[in-house]
Amino acid sequence: MIEKIITEPLIQLKVKATDWRDAIQKAGSVLVEDGDVTPNYVDEIIRSAEKFGPYFVIAPHVALAHAPRQAGANTLAMGITTLDPPIDFHNEANDPVRYVFTLSAPDADSHLKAMQEFVRLLSMDGFYDVLDRATSGQEIMAYIESTVSTNRSDCNG
Amino acid sequence: MVKVLVACRAGVGSSLMLKIKLNEVIAEHKWNMEVIHSSLDELSSFDGPIVVTLSDVADELKEEGVKKEIVGIRNLLDKKEIYTKVAKALQDIGVN
Repeated sequence: MIEKIITEPLIQLKVKATDWRDAIQKAGSVLVEDGDVTPNYVDEIIRSAEKFGPYFVIAPHVALAHAPRQAGANTLAMGITTLDPPIDFHNEANDPVRYVFTLSAPDADSHLKAMQEFVRLLSMDGFYDVLDRATSGQEIMAYIESTVSTNRSDCNG
Repeated sequence: MVKVLVACRAGVGSSLMLKIKLNEVIAEHKWNMEVIHSSLDELSSFDGPIVVTLSDVADELKEEGVKKEIVGIRNLLDKKEIYTKVAKALQDIGVN
């Protein structure tokens, strides 16, 4: 499931950004190009963070950039952008941000399974090693696919 | 059965992940809890005692004077943090 939502064109590695707004714009740009979200969706992520603070920095070095679906989430998709150098998002507990996952979820529940797999991925140290070391989106996709299929066969006994 | 609301601004991203992790913690500790997941808009109609959310949202809810046990999580992948803080909330409302 998650490997259908994160696709290679949505992965960008070692992106340089001037600040957190620039990082969000760059992270969101691939989803806009792919038609998954409208440009307004990306702007809304920034507006919300300006208003409420960096609510989407969810764990050390990890941002899950997203906004309410009404802002312009068209299709279920997730982008991965790694930042080099990492960028300060003004979230004391979890700064600096190295990994931005941009989520587009057009409805509230259909992505539960994908998010479960995503949480499992984020809970694996190996995932961050791959994100740091990969030189292509293909390597990241290969890791995600192998992890997901291993876990599925585990579950099936 | 204790009702817990897991909420975030959008109701589709961080709160869903937090719900997944909280459910793992609940299962591990066999807590008798019902987890409801939504955006903050539904807070006013929530009739349970505990709200779990990310720490910056939690600070804001506390400032607003929301009359619930508010639990703020900094790292939503950290089950130890979730366990410690929710266990304390349960204690504070007189469960466990």
